[in-house]
Amino acid sequence: MRAEEILNLFPEESRERWREVAKQAKRLQEIRLRAGMPLSILVENREYFVDRQGRIVDMPGEAARPLPEELESLLGHLCKYSIYAFADEIRQGFLTVQGGHRVGLAGQVILDGEGRIKNMKYIRYLNIRIAHQIRGAADALMPCLFAEGRVMSTLLISPPGGGKTTMLRDIIRQVSDGTVYGRGVNVSVVDERSEIAGSYLGVSQNDVGIRTDVLDGCPKVEGMMRLIRSMAPRVLAVDEVGSLADAQALQMAGGCGCKLLATIHGGSMEEVRGKDYMRYVMEQRLFERYVMLDRRQGACRIVEIYDREGKPCTRQ
Amino acid sequence: MYKAIGFLCILAGCAGWGHNLAGKEKERVGHLKALSQMLSQMRSEISYGKHTMPEICLLLAELNDKCYSSCFGRIYERTAGEGGTDFPKVWEEEFGKCLEPLPLREDERRTMTELAKSLRFREENGQAGRVGQAETFFEDRYRQAGEMIENRSKMIHSVSILTGLLLAILLL
Repeated sequence: MRAEEILNLFPEESRERWREVAKQAKRLQEIRLRAGMPLSILVENREYFVDRQGRIVDMPGEAARPLPEELESLLGHLCKYSIYAFADEIRQGFLTVQGGHRVGLAGQVILDGEGRIKNMKYIRYLNIRIAHQIRGAADALMPCLFAEGRVMSTLLISPPGGGKTTMLRDIIRQVSDGTVYGRGVNVSVVDERSEIAGSYLGVSQNDVGIRTDVLDGCPKVEGMMRLIRSMAPRVLAVDEVGSLADAQALQMAGGCGCKLLATIHGGSMEEVRGKDYMRYVMEQRLFERYVMLDRRQGACRIVEIYDREGKPCTRQ
Repeated sequence: MYKAIGFLCILAGCAGWGHNLAGKEKERVGHLKALSQMLSQMRSEISYGKHTMPEICLLLAELNDKCYSSCFGRIYERTAGEGGTDFPKVWEEEFGKCLEPLPLREDERRTMTELAKSLRFREENGQAGRVGQAETFFEDRYRQAGEMIENRSKMIHSVSILTGLLLAILLL
């Protein structure tokens, strides 16, 4: 991650002020801007504040307080002065910007006649989440995901923030590029929330491999079948399975002969088994590997790997 | 003999001057038409393509003539890359330079150079509507100028020849 990339997130006239923060690029996790509130950053899980001169300080009292106009200007810059082109993303409450960084947005929503969110105005809260792709995050896992040179359908399980997406992204990259355990194959990704590939203007900002096709911003259920029909993938990857419809779509995709790579929130195998929509998937033995992950001291850790019966097969 | 040649020279000079004036009017009409067409393309790209402004500039650079093509190309280069510069500022600078030598009126130049300042709409129809207003402005100007140009160019040519005759009679 280059400091320049952080600086480029901000309009030209304010870049000088962000120089000090940009120097922390490798450790920087979040930049939070709230209109009239202290400007804060998160570096290695610790909160700091930034003053008017761009110095990193400990006390919120010393911090700069962004004006609503400054936030509007930042939003305009992030959207390349074409906010209309990002209306769908704004409706969902986040933007993916150059570099794959995600900007969470909050403000006042505008509803349509049926009570659905139509757009957002007075955007006064921005949370810039800095993307850190960790190449090689899945190195330790890869030998367990292949059998006879073919990747096995795998479900990654962890609590929120446990590193599922980071792990999934690296598995996709390695499966697509090919490894010593198996040749590279065509992978299709339904990236509903632009978290896997971090696509910006249709171009993947993260390395997801040379044989990977990404359907960005598309709901999983619709996207999976669409990709199977159009891109003929050998492996299909999705993030955060969270409903019965998602589980049914996975089952249909599995039935088409695709290997599946997916993630789900959960603290244990029991918790996942307890989810109504997953019970059927597990009974059908759709996945050949279940990988429990958690995060310790900032790094993603493999806790346990289970086979298709749900029995532990390797302990790391 | 010399008087006859002098007479012809004065007459030709004045006719040429008149032709030049009429040509400038025609050139202005051509530019008004081109600007109106460019804004129409821009409006469609906003409404249907949902492309960002720098991307639209790249597209317009490929679709338009030399003078506008290089202007749009420079805007794209300066705004599209990582950490691109402030789009409205770049647009104003580049269009200011591009339109300066062209035979356009001050309000026509201003409408074009200040267009990017209004790129604040959150949805495509609002944004396209704003571009559409500028397009209508240029369309109206083009229509008015087109209607006037035939009569005006005839008048300019006649006046210039008459001026030439008068000058020749006075001087010779």
